[in-house]
Amino acid sequence: MSASLPHRSVANIRGAAPTSSSRSGSSHRERESSSHRDRGDRDRERGDRDHSGTSTPARPIPTFNTPSSLRAEEELIVVDFGTRKIQVGFAGDSAPRGIVWFGPEQQRRIGDFRDWQTDYHQDWRSKAAGGNWGRDYELWRPDVRGLELGQVGDKVEKAVREAYTKYMLIDSRPRRMVCVVPTGLPIPLLSAALDSLFHRFQPPTVSLLSSPVSVAVAAGVRSALVVDLGWNETIVTSVYEYREVATKRTVRGGRRLTEETHRFLAKELGHVQRDNRDDKQEYVLSFEECHDVANRLVWCKPFKAEKTPKSSPPQPASPEGEGLATVEESDEDKPAITITTTASTAGEKPLPPPPKVTTIPLRSGRSPTSVEVTFDQLSEPCENTFFDSQYSLSSFDDHEIPVHLLVYRALLQLPLDVRALCMSRIIFTGGGTTVLGLRKRIFDEVCHIVQERGWDPVYGKAKEQLRTNPKLKKKHGRQTTNNNRDSSNNNNNNTLTTPGGVPPPAAASGAASEGGTAAPASGQEEDGIWHDAANSVPEVDPIEAQLARTNPSANGRKPLQGQLRAIESLGPWAGGSLITHLKVSTVSTIDKDQWTQHGVTGATVRQADVEAKTQQRLSWNAMNRGGREGKEPWTLGVWGAA
Amino acid sequence: MFGNNRLPAFHPGLTQSRIRDTTTGSGLWFPGLRSPPLPSESDPANDQLPLPITQEDLYDTPMAPFNPYTYIRCPCSELNPYTKRTPDVTAQGLSRAAQDDDDHTFDPRAARSNYSLYPLEYLSFCEDCHQIRCPRCVAEEIVCYYCPNCLFEVPSSNIRSEGSRCTRSCFQCPICIGPLAVNHVETPPDPNQLLSPDHASSSHLGSYILSCSYCNWSSTEIGIKFDKPNSIHMQLAKLRNGGETRLTAKERKERRKEQASQGGGGGGSSAGQGEEDLDTLLDMETQFANLKSFYQNQLSDANGTGKVGGDPSAALGNLGFDAPASLSRIMSLYTGSSSLHDKKSKSRPGTMREALAPSEGLQLASLDESSAITALQDFESTTGLDAYSSTASTTQLQSQAPYLGASPLHGLTRFTSSLRPIPYLLRTKRSKRCPQCRHIISKPESKVTTTRFRIRLIAGNYIPTITIKQLIIPGLTPPSMPNLPPDTIEPLKPAQFVLTFKNPIFESVRVTLATPATTPGRFPAKVTILCPQFEIDSNTDVWEEALKDNNATSSSSQSQNLSSSTGPEGSGPGGRKRAGTLRPGTAGGASLAGEELGPEVGKVWERGRNWTSIVIEVIPASLVQTAKRDGRGPIKEDEDVLEIPMFVRIEWEAEAPEDEIMPGLSSAKGGNKDGGKEKRELAYWCVLGLGRVARTL
Repeated sequence: MSASLPHRSVANIRGAAPTSSSRSGSSHRERESSSHRDRGDRDRERGDRDHSGTSTPARPIPTFNTPSSLRAEEELIVVDFGTRKIQVGFAGDSAPRGIVWFGPEQQRRIGDFRDWQTDYHQDWRSKAAGGNWGRDYELWRPDVRGLELGQVGDKVEKAVREAYTKYMLIDSRPRRMVCVVPTGLPIPLLSAALDSLFHRFQPPTVSLLSSPVSVAVAAGVRSALVVDLGWNETIVTSVYEYREVATKRTVRGGRRLTEETHRFLAKELGHVQRDNRDDKQEYVLSFEECHDVANRLVWCKPFKAEKTPKSSPPQPASPEGEGLATVEESDEDKPAITITTTASTAGEKPLPPPPKVTTIPLRSGRSPTSVEVTFDQLSEPCENTFFDSQYSLSSFDDHEIPVHLLVYRALLQLPLDVRALCMSRIIFTGGGTTVLGLRKRIFDEVCHIVQERGWDPVYGKAKEQLRTNPKLKKKHGRQTTNNNRDSSNNNNNNTLTTPGGVPPPAAASGAASEGGTAAPASGQEEDGIWHDAANSVPEVDPIEAQLARTNPSANGRKPLQGQLRAIESLGPWAGGSLITHLKVSTVSTIDKDQWTQHGVTGATVRQADVEAKTQQRLSWNAMNRGGREGKEPWTLGVWGAA
Repeated sequence: MFGNNRLPAFHPGLTQSRIRDTTTGSGLWFPGLRSPPLPSESDPANDQLPLPITQEDLYDTPMAPFNPYTYIRCPCSELNPYTKRTPDVTAQGLSRAAQDDDDHTFDPRAARSNYSLYPLEYLSFCEDCHQIRCPRCVAEEIVCYYCPNCLFEVPSSNIRSEGSRCTRSCFQCPICIGPLAVNHVETPPDPNQLLSPDHASSSHLGSYILSCSYCNWSSTEIGIKFDKPNSIHMQLAKLRNGGETRLTAKERKERRKEQASQGGGGGGSSAGQGEEDLDTLLDMETQFANLKSFYQNQLSDANGTGKVGGDPSAALGNLGFDAPASLSRIMSLYTGSSSLHDKKSKSRPGTMREALAPSEGLQLASLDESSAITALQDFESTTGLDAYSSTASTTQLQSQAPYLGASPLHGLTRFTSSLRPIPYLLRTKRSKRCPQCRHIISKPESKVTTTRFRIRLIAGNYIPTITIKQLIIPGLTPPSMPNLPPDTIEPLKPAQFVLTFKNPIFESVRVTLATPATTPGRFPAKVTILCPQFEIDSNTDVWEEALKDNNATSSSSQSQNLSSSTGPEGSGPGGRKRAGTLRPGTAGGASLAGEELGPEVGKVWERGRNWTSIVIEVIPASLVQTAKRDGRGPIKEDEDVLEIPMFVRIEWEAEAPEDEIMPGLSSAKGGNKDGGKEKRELAYWCVLGLGRVARTL
């Protein structure tokens, strides 16, 4: 679907036709209305009009005059950086031309053909020694300490070069580049990658696009909650009106999944694995094999809603732990939130009595063998990686929150309007989405939490008491000047569970505000503040009004909000391709000369300025700092400044 | 070879996995695979020592023979301006950065050096800059595009429009990446057709299939047959796996146009339609096209051309479906530069709405993947095959061409039944230029089928080749440990190697060698070059040599004159002169006081017509003891290979070019001219892989 040159010219003709005819028509109308002189003139006019109706109008249409300038438009190259692979292609294409995966073969010397030797792949142990298990397959890792940055640049160069020569078949003329980069990328890594690109490929400019925004663009929405199930970590980014407004992350990602798969397989092989997950772990299987098994067979169990504790599920690894069981009784008397896309999955797949097994051949162990595992077991790695549901939800550290809780908290943290929009535009992206059933499971878990707690950061036994006990409520009602958290803290300080980073409780549910969907919690509505929020007259949104004016056709269909809904995106690369093709200028466009002069730090190297950190996202001015030659101020945008 | 060496002949990972994946495949796929294409210097052998080391592991593991090798580091990797410029960023690394700044000894074990080391065969040479050029530092131009399978040349205009894959009938097997052949099948007795009559009716099943002659895969396994034996690519684009037809982009566009003209209602009907098929699945191509036209409409509306947006039915009804791909471009033409265009859209950010229907590119996610899960689980019961083997391996998935007909996420292929034949990637012939002086370094013939080059300046014709051989003199070399595997170097004992430098050019060359006293890295070895400065005679004609031998006096005197500074040389008759043997009685090697003399310090070991060999002595460290002591874990891959960084500087006098002014950027120094001669020099790092150090104590 590239905009090929011959097609483009044809399209130009077609596109120009209605405009030109309408213009010529209008001009004639004007002329007709203005000229009431005599018949001769009229006749001439008519003849003129007949003439112009069939042929090109008098005014030259620039489309036909400047096809050469259109055609000479250079090819823009879009590069999407991921930890495991880069995707490279031309802007305007719907899919990247080439996907280059990082691997040990790339890091070998040219002319080193040991990969071809028989049984070479048996010898993975010496490579994996010293915590390097699988590190060869990554471009970088977020922990920059001890990382050879020059090597990152080398890897980038080699991968881009491979994409150029193998997949895109272009020569080494300098071309403008657009890089789609994850937002949380540390500056040293970004700098190393840019160094390599500028030095080796000499692009006149490199523009940076943030990948969550690109994902949102590739889904056709302006606001979204992008759940990037990536390799190093899972990142939940809220995008509102093409801006990232909040980000939360957890280490539960693809690498963890592969490691869990390894632990699982090692257990099946009879190796007792210590429970620590540090680098000193002894590996009995190669990374390739574990990754392969994780890609092929690991799946995710559907969400099991437990109505009552009595009807306990047959699986030993029950999705709900005790931490949730305490609050679960409450969900019977709450109205269910409407979920648009998915039906309830409870009891959807009853497992037949004989467990289905599969045989996994394992060749990278000390001796080739095969293990027979049931499919139930095969969902274990996924369960442990993304959910860890045998533990209470409050027992996790900030960096390893289970994914569903992370999504919920990310939504909870958002302001009300933003949440209303984002919750109905959840986009799953990243490599983890290939795990069968994982997206649905996360989605259902989030729905479940929302059903249980509503959009209230406060949950637990004490809240239940507050809700059920009228005495407490009265007491609470008297102190209405305080907000919810204060009062509840005063009342039940020791029993309440408040998750970290509590947003103001006035952040009510988007569902409630929209009115179309059911309110999440009846108890909350008895709160005084909530009543106010529900009864308040919605403000007139000037942007909406403007939209309604300019696009009356879209009036009937207001953008959906307030429901949990997942939508598909074409991914960050396609988003970058779209943005670039539409010629939207990016916040951060780096000129080659400026980069060559100043680099990421500017002309003078200084230790990390404290000010620079505080004024992140500000476009810092090269003239202010370097004091010379800065033609235009340029910025790294969201990626901050060094 | 040089024109095409950027294009890997086979994907290494693929073939490996192919050998591992197919249970029936018992051996070589291509006979030539096992032997590396380049005969020497390219193949540091592997060892298969499992770790941690135990004593019994040490000796009985079969070792692949080790070939000594030479790698040359292209000087271009030193020129990176950025690494020097931003030390604070790199200093976040470790003390290694500081160490690098202190002394510029090249460390072949450093993580980055793998990227700058090349075998001599991969390097080119710019005659005008007198500099080595590696694949990283040449500018490439494309001579022609061709399909490696059918060897048809593809015009460059097709590359942009139709992609970089062969659009004829060339496909690779999705299972084993072998070439697929188009075969005719008899239609009536075909069981597939009987099983699925609806497919037969819907897609008029053809009678041609693609089949792999290596692994017996055929396209019937994914339910695809073709009507015609030619232009398979086009036919395949219209077929989904299972045989359902799929509209191509062009057809879809036409169909839309029809609908729009038939409906006539414009915006209203399209809106209604959009809400109806909110659940329809768009494939990637369609979704992208819809998104693109949607955004273009929105942008052009936002641009305030007024007339277009004023009539809503026109905006949505006509343009929404009939969107010209370059509408925004035209708009930018009207409004002036693109920056103005951007400014406008920025100034009114609210005027763009989001996509609301599949026709605008919005695609609801169907998260329910239970069907795939059940398919995976029930695979064995339904087909009798193992579920593991029903899934595609990672390498198979990675080698798939991007399939635009797939839905974005849930369409991701997982089963082997959803793999598709891979159209061959096209290849290019490339000519290479020096990036600095723009002279052509390599230029292949433009015809696809010829392998000749018009211009090819390979470095092997300009800089001396180095070959390495272990020096074992029967009487002098102490006997090695009896149970040591062959081709290994004993730790903590001196070992000697003969380095033979062969001069390819027609002038005699002075070579100066330098090496760090101990090799960098974890296992430092002591290195001594016994004769760091010597001369190699010119690469004269073989016949000239023979003639010289007849009047030996002149040749020997000449050579002695030339080599006077490097020390007294043996000047016997004949091409080879061994220095040591011809000078009896000297105490050259103090430790080697025997009847037969070993190498002497400062003496060339052996010398011939256009070659000279010298001796290098190494004392490797003990791997096992060091590994135990430093606590940095077991010995990693290739850490037991004794690699020596060596700085080579060659000088020669060449005919000064008369028509040409020597540019300042070349490394050749223009001074010292006498009699039209010009002194040139070239210096580079190289890495000698001498051998594997034994893992004894």
